[in-house]
Amino acid sequence: MTNIYNYLRNHIPSRQIVIGVPYLWFLLLAAIPILIVLKISMSEMESTSVSSMISWTQGWPTIKFNFASYIFLSTDPLYFETYLSSIKYALITTVICLAIGYPFAYFMARSPKHLQPMLLMLIMLPFWTSFLLRIYAWKTLMVNNGVINNVLMSLGVIDDPIAMMNTPFSLLVGMVYSYLPFMILPLYANLSKLDIRFLEAAADLGTSPFRTFWLVTIPLSKAGIIAGSMLVFIPAIGEYVIPELLGGPDTLMIGRVLWDEFFSNNDWPMASAVAVVMILLILLPMAIFNKYQSDQAEAKS
Amino acid sequence: MSTTATTDSAKPSAIRKMAPQELLRVEGITKVYDGSVKAVDNISLTVATGEIFALLGGSGCGKSTLLRMLAGFEKPTNGKIFLAGKDITDLPAYKRPINMMFQSYALFPHLSVWENIAFGLRRDDMAKGDIAERVESMLSLVQLDKFAKRKPHQLSGGQQQRVALARSLAKRPKLLLLDEPLGALDKKLREKTQLELVNIIEEVGVTCVLVTHDQEEAMTMASRIAVMSEGSFMQVGSPDEVYEMPNSRQVADFIGNVNIFDGIIEEDESDHVTIRCEECLHYVGHGISGNVGMSVGVALRPEKITLSKEQPQSEYNWCAGEVVEIVYFGAHTTYHLKLDSGKVIKAQELNNTRDLSCGLTWGDRAYAHWNDMAMVVLTY
Amino acid sequence: MNKLFGRAWMIAVYIFLYMPIVTLVIYSFNASPLVTVWSEASLRWYVALANDGDLIAAVWLSLKIAFLSSLMSVFFGTFTAFALTRYKRFPGRTLLSSMSSTPLVMPDVIVGLSLLLMLVSLQHWLGFPERGLFTILLGHALLGTAYAAVVVTSRLNEMDKRLDEAAMDLGCRPFQVFRLVTLPLLVPALVSAFLLTFTLSFDDVVLSSFLSGPGYSTLPMVIFSRARLGLNPTINAVAAVTIAVVSIAVIASSIYQSRAERQRKREVAQAYSDANQ
Repeated sequence: MTNIYNYLRNHIPSRQIVIGVPYLWFLLLAAIPILIVLKISMSEMESTSVSSMISWTQGWPTIKFNFASYIFLSTDPLYFETYLSSIKYALITTVICLAIGYPFAYFMARSPKHLQPMLLMLIMLPFWTSFLLRIYAWKTLMVNNGVINNVLMSLGVIDDPIAMMNTPFSLLVGMVYSYLPFMILPLYANLSKLDIRFLEAAADLGTSPFRTFWLVTIPLSKAGIIAGSMLVFIPAIGEYVIPELLGGPDTLMIGRVLWDEFFSNNDWPMASAVAVVMILLILLPMAIFNKYQSDQAEAKS
Repeated sequence: MSTTATTDSAKPSAIRKMAPQELLRVEGITKVYDGSVKAVDNISLTVATGEIFALLGGSGCGKSTLLRMLAGFEKPTNGKIFLAGKDITDLPAYKRPINMMFQSYALFPHLSVWENIAFGLRRDDMAKGDIAERVESMLSLVQLDKFAKRKPHQLSGGQQQRVALARSLAKRPKLLLLDEPLGALDKKLREKTQLELVNIIEEVGVTCVLVTHDQEEAMTMASRIAVMSEGSFMQVGSPDEVYEMPNSRQVADFIGNVNIFDGIIEEDESDHVTIRCEECLHYVGHGISGNVGMSVGVALRPEKITLSKEQPQSEYNWCAGEVVEIVYFGAHTTYHLKLDSGKVIKAQELNNTRDLSCGLTWGDRAYAHWNDMAMVVLTY
Repeated sequence: MNKLFGRAWMIAVYIFLYMPIVTLVIYSFNASPLVTVWSEASLRWYVALANDGDLIAAVWLSLKIAFLSSLMSVFFGTFTAFALTRYKRFPGRTLLSSMSSTPLVMPDVIVGLSLLLMLVSLQHWLGFPERGLFTILLGHALLGTAYAAVVVTSRLNEMDKRLDEAAMDLGCRPFQVFRLVTLPLLVPALVSAFLLTFTLSFDDVVLSSFLSGPGYSTLPMVIFSRARLGLNPTINAVAAVTIAVVSIAVIASSIYQSRAERQRKREVAQAYSDANQ
């Protein structure tokens, strides 16, 4: 037994294993699946298995491409509108999160040091409880006979219930609600590290607090703003659960279209084509973000 | 290299006489990073048993890389390392009979003091009773018997340093490596710890190679110092050799304060030389290996200069200037003298009475003079 | 003025964050079957929950999947973190690091769809895996690995490399260094990675919907299908129970952490004042 153990401990190339295990894992579960999506998006509906796409001509494999799904995607204005509307809602969500989250993170970073861990925990706590249940909760709040309308009507503020559910409003409430912590956390991390002496220096040089905020605080927290915005914007584009539960027929989101193509229409090539375009949509802001980060890293060194 | 050594050439290296047995030999070792950056450039050295050998230099001079190659954390690009005659160049760190005391100690935070010290012994299949015995003796060596159960964070900086020392000595290594051993301590604690460290090392009798950027640390602890720069040794010698007989401007400048005058050899005799500088005429009371007309530097330590208000009678080894700065250090005072040529030199006066002895103040005209054995002639 | 505004702003945000949760909990004690109309306090929906076989089965399935998938996540995430932090140069390093962040940036629908299509192809060729528990596990473990890798990587990056070297210097082979030094120091990070991936798995509805087969409905899938149809007071009871469990766990762990931190600071201060006496 010990011999085997000794043999193994002397002969296992640890480097190859440490690198090889995660490599295979992600290759199998992340890289290859994306390639398969790409392939299936270019196949016909009846033949969705990979093998049927490859035909053997004179001993050489040839891959047959079929762009029918993409052609349909580009001719039906519905898809284009859905993409646009996904970007629109993701963008609005990001802006609102920033508008609410920036002051919040700023005040949190300025609050007494011993309170900050608790304030931070209170931001994280909803994150640990079920996301689905919290979205569901908004439904009970916003339906016509829901809590908000009931309270407002009993207070006499309104006579008839406001129609909030299944509108862009309810969708945005849900999105902002879900993604706000993702905006606050990087901003707080950034602002709490902001050296108070910069602000004192600015004040010492005769800058008003308001101008100091614009000229010193905001530029110095740029990295946090960008990180937070990306953490909200990127997942918001592909969101499915929130539009499904809180959105309405006119709040088009691409995640929902993909879901419907797959589950309702059983159109795998179409669902795959929608996914491929969605990936491209996400890669663009990602690339910008990565470029910004590597520029930052370069500037530091 | 040096032009200063002639008078001392008769004196053989005292250390070699004392400890004839060679323990560590490094032959032409080189470390190249990224294919072009030479961190260590073709260094050879030998360390005798019982020596404390210091690698002294600024950051990035290659001293840490050299130490890490001795420990086995870095593979040399070229060259060989021998320990007690055995080639250990390709031996991994865990098989070398060499232990290291790390910068800021690297004590295992999840283990107690006792377990930290026993850590290396347990890797050696040592019997349990022997381990306990060894750990106890190590603990009493560093006077931490009472702290065996504590975790590293429950110790002060000085105590952590002693645990680190005990841990690195526990396996009775043939060679002990010390990486900035006092770097993490504050100034007051250093002096005390320095002596303790040397005493323990001498008690155990282990051979040491230590790395430091602090010349005082190197001077007080080491029996021999190698001054490093850009991956090479500039000078190797005992602390007083390196201080009193630097072989280059760089070494003179790196170790302590120094004034360097540029001049030309005017007279070259076997028992003296004279060197003409813009500021003064130097009369050096020993012969050097240079020629008349050669341009050289004359290094003069501030503490070897005497200041006075009266002009000296001699025709050489003095210069005059205006006192432009007085820096009071308590035990001594450093005067900055602006010479007529515009050059500023420093002179250090001991404050051996309670009134400021020579009574010089800002703007005074003062004369600096020194004796004919005070300076070192540098050709590099 | 500024301070007052700041406080008001923070309180408003906290109300916004907690209002839905609090409402859910309050209305879980509502006797009326109309979720939004309060009649009187009752435990009726908790009784209904206890008797709801589908929901209970879904809870057990979700717990099982969350437990197993987070074990897998921590395992593979640790490997990923090690590969990326300990080996700065190997062919395909960029590929590995971007693959490992794919599940973080890709929408769940894409991760779910692509994994499903891959598994279907695999099944086509090899005859397995059947859609069900195992396929859901794979999906959750993939997502979890990406998150666990981030947590472990950040811990590894802040760990003093000299500790590894010290262990090696004292005679540890590479694997012993891992077992005796790195792993014990990594435990807190592994625990938080486990908790995070457990939560992610327990909460996931999209991946599970893509990857599950007949007879395998996780808790979020059941909640989601009921929530789509309308409001359901039993869900309020489920929510209240989940929220209670999670809040107690989170609050207890953060109290424990801050106590441990304070204790540690006291000990450090004590050590120095002792030494100076």
